[in-house]
Amino acid sequence: MRKTIVAGLLIGAFSVLSAGEFDAQANKDLKALKEYMEKKFATRKGAESYFPYTPKEELDKNFKWGLKGDDFRLGSYAYNKNGKEQYDEMNEMPPYEDNIDAGEELYKNTKFKNGKSFKDCFPDPAIKGEYPKFVKGKGVVTLADAINACLKENGEKPWDMAKGKMADLEAFFAHASKEKGKRYHIVINSKEAAAAYEDGKKIYYSQRGYLKLSCANCHVQGAGKRVRNEYLSPLYGQVTHFPVYRLAWEELGTLQRRIKGCEKNQGETTHKLDSKWMRDLIYFLTYMSNGLPVDGPDIRK
Amino acid sequence: MKKLLTLAALAILASGFANASNSDLVKEGKKIFNTKKLGNCFACHNANGKKINGPGTLGPKLQGLSMWPEQALYDKVYNPYKTNPISAMPPFGLNGVLNDHQIKAVVAYLKTIK
Ligand code: HEC
Ligand code: HEC
Repeated sequence: MRKTIVAGLLIGAFSVLSAGEFDAQANKDLKALKEYMEKKFATRKGAESYFPYTPKEELDKNFKWGLKGDDFRLGSYAYNKNGKEQYDEMNEMPPYEDNIDAGEELYKNTKFKNGKSFKDCFPDPAIKGEYPKFVKGKGVVTLADAINACLKENGEKPWDMAKGKMADLEAFFAHASKEKGKRYHIVINSKEAAAAYEDGKKIYYSQRGYLKLSCANCHVQGAGKRVRNEYLSPLYGQVTHFPVYRLAWEELGTLQRRIKGCEKNQGETTHKLDSKWMRDLIYFLTYMSNGLPVDGPDIRK
Repeated sequence: MKKLLTLAALAILASGFANASNSDLVKEGKKIFNTKKLGNCFACHNANGKKINGPGTLGPKLQGLSMWPEQALYDKVYNPYKTNPISAMPPFGLNGVLNDHQIKAVVAYLKTIK
């Protein structure tokens, strides 16, 4: 009898203590996704079942197998050997170093009209892995949303969320987080937060635009296949490295900007960069990189 | 005799026309297949015996399509869900990306894939 009471108390204590109630589904999703990707890229043997249309020679020669956890932070370069070589060459002279410096300058030396600065809003710059956050009454707040909120609260004009100063300041935050060895740590701790996550997930898995493709067609089932010559990156670890310097842009850009490009890929009219649609989607996307190292800024084709 | 000759000439002309218009259609279909803003089929497909510039691997390498009935090819391009409800191929007719004539052109091109 006493034993059962103790056990009962313990269970009760656990359910109060752990935030596990609200993030249970998200954790299950993340675990399943990680397992799927690790299996998909485990060995050459049996790879045909995941890549039915990829030429055998390509599977033999250009794929790196045996990928695990942190490997996926590299996106498609985790398995695409040729791409990885080019990527390593590009990273010998990283084109984003000036952006990190510019971001540091913005962080340390921007004085708002009221005398305050970014340091008042963000005392610690190593926060890339903490965003997006869910804030009651506001919904999902991405790092870009938080930066613009800081500007507005201090009587300043908000920035373009796609590039420029926004990308530079994010680059500095990402760099500072990486230096400290931070990992993504996205939290879901309320019913409303769980609902926003589910909304983002629904967006990701539904057919969109006139091409009727889902994000998952290309980045879950499609991960490792190619659209023309471009290898598709996996959802797991897909956002660890933002902001990115894209050769196609010839400059640094934010995750919001990249997503807008993919909306166009699937023939969808694009959503505003600070819309609920975009914020919920980024909440889901970033949760799917939980536990992986903050790895930005980086380069992509 | 003269009449016969004219008839023969006409017949040749007619068949020539038919050929010309079919090969024009094939040409048009080939262009739709390989143009990003049109069918963009090469984003996902290679095609047996054709030189495709950097074909993707989301869809199968197309082969043996010369054996398919035209209607089956038309249906596949118009609405792949008809035969495969979970197809990851876009429905090019249903969504209005390609019109009836353009789909017929693509089908004419697909029929040349051995
Ligand atoms: C038609 C295929 C297609 C669809 C559908 C698609 N994408 Fe992409 N996406 C790509 C390609 C191609 C790239 C560039 C190669 C890569 O890194 O995956 C890319 C890149 C990305 C990247 C950057 C990856 C990196 O490593 O820098 C993100 C993030 C992304 N997509 C998110 C999305 C989201 C979110 C959706 C749905 C709203 C979506 N994609 C739908 C084709 C697609
Ligand atoms: C986003 C990727 C994508 C695009 C773009 C695409 N397809 Fe497909 N296609 C597929 C996939 C995946 C399949 C296999 C599943 C199926 O049959 O529905 C397929 C199957 C087919 C088949 C049947 C092949 C067979 O042997 O069963 C034909 C024919 C075809 N596609 C033609 C086309 C044509 C023509 C276009 C352009 C007008 C096109 N596809 C564009 C992905 C694509």
